[in-house]
Amino acid sequence: MKKSNDKAAFLGSITASVTHEIQNVLAIIKETSGLMEDFLKMNQAQDLSDLEERLNGCIETIKRQAYRGVALTSGLNGFAHTSDNAQDSINIYKTIEKMISIASRLFVQKGFSVSIIQSNKKDLIVTDPILFQMIIFLCIECLIDTFQTKAAITIDIQSIENRSAIKFLYVNTDLRYKDCEQQVMQDDHWIKICDLSTHLGISAKAYADSPGILLLFK
Amino acid sequence: MNNQNIKILLIDDEIEFISTLAERLELRGYSSKTAEDGESGISMVAKESFDVVILDLMMPGLNGLDALRQIKILDAALPVILLTGHGSTKDGMEGMRIGAFDFLMKPLDINDLLEKIKLAVNESPKG
Repeated sequence: MKKSNDKAAFLGSITASVTHEIQNVLAIIKETSGLMEDFLKMNQAQDLSDLEERLNGCIETIKRQAYRGVALTSGLNGFAHTSDNAQDSINIYKTIEKMISIASRLFVQKGFSVSIIQSNKKDLIVTDPILFQMIIFLCIECLIDTFQTKAAITIDIQSIENRSAIKFLYVNTDLRYKDCEQQVMQDDHWIKICDLSTHLGISAKAYADSPGILLLFK
Repeated sequence: MNNQNIKILLIDDEIEFISTLAERLELRGYSSKTAEDGESGISMVAKESFDVVILDLMMPGLNGLDALRQIKILDAALPVILLTGHGSTKDGMEGMRIGAFDFLMKPLDINDLLEKIKLAVNESPKG
């Protein structure tokens, strides 16, 4: 029951963030079409010599926002379909890349940029796709909440002793951190990360000397 | 106060939204300025005089409610109309508790916004 509640909360927070952004896209399209109406009304009262140019500018804005909206809804649709199967074979890199793309607004709101280091690795795992994305999300949130100062988080997929590993590194060269491991483990997200990692058969470790988390597949 | 004398500050990280809205307000005779985040909006309120602020609640960095608190410290009488893209009114109500004049949901209806601006200016102690 608790796992399904956590899943629902995770799906809810991602969906709320994306639909909020879609509202912004629609708001821009609505205002821009309203501005086109304004121009056409003005043109009836007095000929606007640059009417075509003004309308073309509006059309470009609407097109740009339509593309943005399509990308958002496609991403959300893909994300929603990851819950179709309780167990599935997933590509680690592609799944993380899509997840951070769809959740980026949530991270940006907190002043963080999250990126994944390009990888051609085709590491495939059979897992619960939603729980896998949840643990990725929780690791990012854990570093954001623990270290707080606006920075970048990079995710790197590596092989350690022939096992797939995911490294999350909080990158802020201006700051020096002490007791990183303790700080991460005191964050509320850490208990959830440990719980989920056990469920998924992953080991989770906080780095002692730098702000970061390692997920290692068994 | 006629539209020509009403100075509006729009604060939202959605640049195409505020630039289009500012243009629509200017076509109706209002004077408008824009800020792309809470920090620069607050700094503009500290330096210039405005009759109404239109403030988005969800922005990176300083969020709308925190920006509202700071604007109210700088100028308690300045009416602030909040914009929210959330489907619920919770944040808008919280904003009104802090001192916002009112709130509107995105996407906007320009006539609703114009109505709120007029009310805000008429009811403001500054008006």
